[in-house]
Amino acid sequence: MNLRNKILAAVLALVAFVGGTAHADQLADIKKKGEIVVGVLGTDEPNSFIDPKTREIVGYDVDLAKAIARKLGVKLTLKQLAVAARVPELEQGRVDLLAASLTHNKEREAKIDFSLTTFITGQKVLVRKDSNITSVPQLAGKKVLTVKGGTQEPNLRKAVPTAEVVTFETTGQAFVALQQGKGVGYVNDEVSILADYAKLGPAQKDFLILPQNLSIEPLALGIRKGEPALKKVVDDTLRELEKSGEAEKLFFKWYGNDSKIKFQVRPFKIESDKVDS
Amino acid sequence: MTPIFDLNLLLTGTYHDWLLSGLITSLSLTGISLALALHLAIIIALVRLSPVKLLQWSGFAFVEAIRNVPLLAHMLFWYFGAPELLPTALREWLYARNVEATSAIIALTLYTAAYMSEDVRSGIRSIPGQQFEAARALGFSFVASMRLVVLPQALRVTIPPLISQTLNLWKDTSIATVIGVAELMYQAAKVESASFRSFEAFAFASACYLGMSLLITGAAAWYQGRFPVRAA
Repeated sequence: MNLRNKILAAVLALVAFVGGTAHADQLADIKKKGEIVVGVLGTDEPNSFIDPKTREIVGYDVDLAKAIARKLGVKLTLKQLAVAARVPELEQGRVDLLAASLTHNKEREAKIDFSLTTFITGQKVLVRKDSNITSVPQLAGKKVLTVKGGTQEPNLRKAVPTAEVVTFETTGQAFVALQQGKGVGYVNDEVSILADYAKLGPAQKDFLILPQNLSIEPLALGIRKGEPALKKVVDDTLRELEKSGEAEKLFFKWYGNDSKIKFQVRPFKIESDKVDS
Repeated sequence: MTPIFDLNLLLTGTYHDWLLSGLITSLSLTGISLALALHLAIIIALVRLSPVKLLQWSGFAFVEAIRNVPLLAHMLFWYFGAPELLPTALREWLYARNVEATSAIIALTLYTAAYMSEDVRSGIRSIPGQQFEAARALGFSFVASMRLVVLPQALRVTIPPLISQTLNLWKDTSIATVIGVAELMYQAAKVESASFRSFEAFAFASACYLGMSLLITGAAAWYQGRFPVRAA
């Protein structure tokens, strides 16, 4: 390490130190403020999206955030974030918690902590039928659209290294580009793909969801590193929701028959904060 | 443990290749848009100075319509909006190619040309009107008087502000990331989401923007020293 790198390291360490001590105990800070700021996407139905009637952000993630705010006895403030901005915003303390369709994986564990897994989904590909693609490997060399800064792009690259990936700021833009024919496929979490597919209406006949999963994505709430007190409250709240049956109700409210997704069974329980990969 | 600033990540390997290809794309966007915008800017400036009222008015409308809308909106329009108005066959032909870069070049060209045309127009207006009148009196047409007498002098005055617009164009290419053009900011974000090395990725991008911008500024300084503005 030369002198320049040493100075840089010292500056960064100082920044980390100052940043770290300013939030000695986040839980105490939240209670003192009487407010918890939760980062959501607001563009990803049904996890968090804008209800066209009330113009408010609603969804599965939002209801979980509400339960946590209620448990803490504080006011809930939602902050809309771009997919790529989620982890940095949490690390820099501009939000207290992430409830933003966030995948829990080993790489991210180096950066932030996660709550108990709140949802398990796979990532899938929606393709245009006129491309004659029926399986994931056929995407080789083809233009595939998705969102910047999530796990979608790395997962697709792992599954089909030669696919030409084009990314956008929101999943909505990538989906519009697919509809306009600017690519042959669009990658997203299965539940979001199902919601998008439902929005196509009569045009559904021109599209196909490939049956194969690109990956299995455990979703969880994101918590800043080194905040065991806050993590405990969040996990306790989730355990209580599971025990009382409220978690299952929330699942069917957003993913069940009344939703666009129409899941008949709930294939998981909120119980663990461990992931395999 | 990985170092706080991993210089190797920038010097070799996949991430290096991604960032370098982003830099090349950004430079190409700048080069192509600059070449097109310069020509378009001169045409618009001449249209605005032409004796025909309708032409003057349409030149004015073009410049104001473009300058008063943010570049981000231009990008989204030329990518998501405009191509949808094309006939089906042409649209499919375009979509099978690099529609992202094409849309970005159109947006950057129009946006830059609107600003440059104002600089060219001021340059032309700085040349005394008698020169143009003398050329006309000697029997040159409007276009020939402009091309042979006024423009050679006007462009000399105009080069410094045009270099400054080129500097803006260079930085404006970063907006193309929103329509999926794999330029420098796009590749930096890609490296960030694949490796979580945000600091290295954006340090590289910033160094490239700063370095190239300084070169352009240097070119402007050199030009002004070498070809000072002459009293007309």
